[in-house]
Amino acid sequence: MKGRADIRAFVQGLLTASGDDRPFADSDSLLFSGRLQSIDAVEIVVFLEENFGIDFAQVGFDKEQIDSVDAICALTESVAKSN
Amino acid sequence: MDPLTNKLDDAAAHEQAQQAGRRAAIEDLLRAHPGVREAAAIQDGGNKVAAFVVPDNEFVDNVLGRAAAGSTIVGKWRKIFDLSQFSKQATSACVGFNTMGWDSSYTHGAIPADQMHEWVENTVGDILRLSPKSVCEIGCGTGMLVMRVAPHCDRYVAVDQSSAVLGRLRQQLETIPDIARRVEVVESQAADLEGFGESTFDTLVLSSVVQFFPNAAYLSKVLEKAVGLVRPGGHIYVGDVRSLPLLRAFASSVELFQAPDELSADELRGRILRRMERDPELVLSPAYFLSLPRRFPKISTVEIRPLRGRADNEMTRFRYEAILRIGPGAAAGREGEFLDWNERRPGLDEIRSLLRRHAKQAFGIKAIPNARIERDLTAMAILEGADAAYAAGELRRKAEQDADRGIHPQSLFDLENEATGFAVFLSWAACRRDGSYDAFFVPKESLQGAALPPIGWPEPDAAEFARLANAPGQARFRDQLVALLAAHCRQNLPDTQAPDEIALVDTLPRTADGKVAGPELLRSRSS
Repeated sequence: MKGRADIRAFVQGLLTASGDDRPFADSDSLLFSGRLQSIDAVEIVVFLEENFGIDFAQVGFDKEQIDSVDAICALTESVAKSN
Repeated sequence: MDPLTNKLDDAAAHEQAQQAGRRAAIEDLLRAHPGVREAAAIQDGGNKVAAFVVPDNEFVDNVLGRAAAGSTIVGKWRKIFDLSQFSKQATSACVGFNTMGWDSSYTHGAIPADQMHEWVENTVGDILRLSPKSVCEIGCGTGMLVMRVAPHCDRYVAVDQSSAVLGRLRQQLETIPDIARRVEVVESQAADLEGFGESTFDTLVLSSVVQFFPNAAYLSKVLEKAVGLVRPGGHIYVGDVRSLPLLRAFASSVELFQAPDELSADELRGRILRRMERDPELVLSPAYFLSLPRRFPKISTVEIRPLRGRADNEMTRFRYEAILRIGPGAAAGREGEFLDWNERRPGLDEIRSLLRRHAKQAFGIKAIPNARIERDLTAMAILEGADAAYAAGELRRKAEQDADRGIHPQSLFDLENEATGFAVFLSWAACRRDGSYDAFFVPKESLQGAALPPIGWPEPDAAEFARLANAPGQARFRDQLVALLAAHCRQNLPDTQAPDEIALVDTLPRTADGKVAGPELLRSRSS
């Protein structure tokens, strides 16, 4: 099972790919801050579907759920608990 | 004749002939490459030669793999729209007013509902002015336009690629049978739309959708199909198009809005450039649409209009609508004189008295400064000349203070309602980077119901035709093609004969007599 370190590494990769090499904290906003764009949100969603088995059609989707490493971890934990 | 001068003349003539031979050899060699559709080699001062190449789209799509990457981009946007329908906000949205995904680039929050209402009502008004009876809308989403335009039509085909979005639209239609009976819902990607015969519709709508296309070549494929689907006398309405001439102004406006007070001018300039380079959406020059009749002769008229509206947001500031009339069109022509706004700088009141004086005669005013973006332009000008350490907070204050007021486009549209007797048409066809626009006033009685009266709008500088669109996510294909062509030249020409630079352009701008416009091409590199 993947965990916080993998999520962080994945987000780091997205930021680097978009030319953003500034440091970021787990609580930092990624989408609402504009550091990542809407189209990057798809990469996060696919990562969560493939690695954590999250089905957004079931759990619902709001950008807040994936706006920071902390939010993503909370989402994966709550989905894991309910399964 | 002075023997010395004569000798120099000979030398110069010899040098000229050599350079002409070099340019011809470069052009022949490049044109023979499968990745090249057109090529022009231009002397760039001294002995330097710059080669300008219009890429062959099929080569870039199929050999370099852009088509596959484009499908990935289209697929990603579909997923975004699918996801947007799984949100709580989407499930509770009003029928025909689901604005999920309409987020502000400035705040990243939703664009306020009153502004969205104004935008949708104005868009609907502009479409209804085309008197549609049989409509195909590509990228219909959850039906903001369907619910408002379909009641005026006999048939409305609503196409979208997102099954979740269409699911929501079908649910809504079930509650309104009078609209539902006119509407057919079709799940398809824009480029793959099949099953409708030639000249099926009188109006084809692509509203707020082309920015999600992967590149201009994809849009051209969609328009090629669209041109066939629309019957003569009908229209293609392309709405909410992001403007390429205003891309820098847009990026500057957003970055300055978001910048902390202490951010330095140097850092701000870097952020603006990054935003322009990383923009994931397709941003198009009006020149793209103006060049379409040459490719698709069935298009007889192209109108490029700034949006109506008082709301101050990125749509009204930086986007336009393109209306393409499918022939036969009214003969293009100048119905009246265009006054240059800068000569007399008339305000609204003076324009009113001009309307009174012109009584029944059509006339235009060109290059009217645009009040919607005066502050953004002032900020850009200050930033251009600012020291590296000049702070963003100070820049904001200064821009606010110094901005000229300009004339708000909606104030001119409003003149239609002041019993002036004139209909008002605005245009951004001239592609000016300061967002200034042209206005044409036509006596209402002479319109005779024409949605697009023939107006000879001021045209863009030929250099505008060299770059018709940005290239979201395409940098690597462009770099790859330039590298291939450079290697091709190195392998086939002596070192001294190869071009000093190879640049990709969308078309080769031409002079009135059909020759390649060299100075405009050289100039296009810096824009």
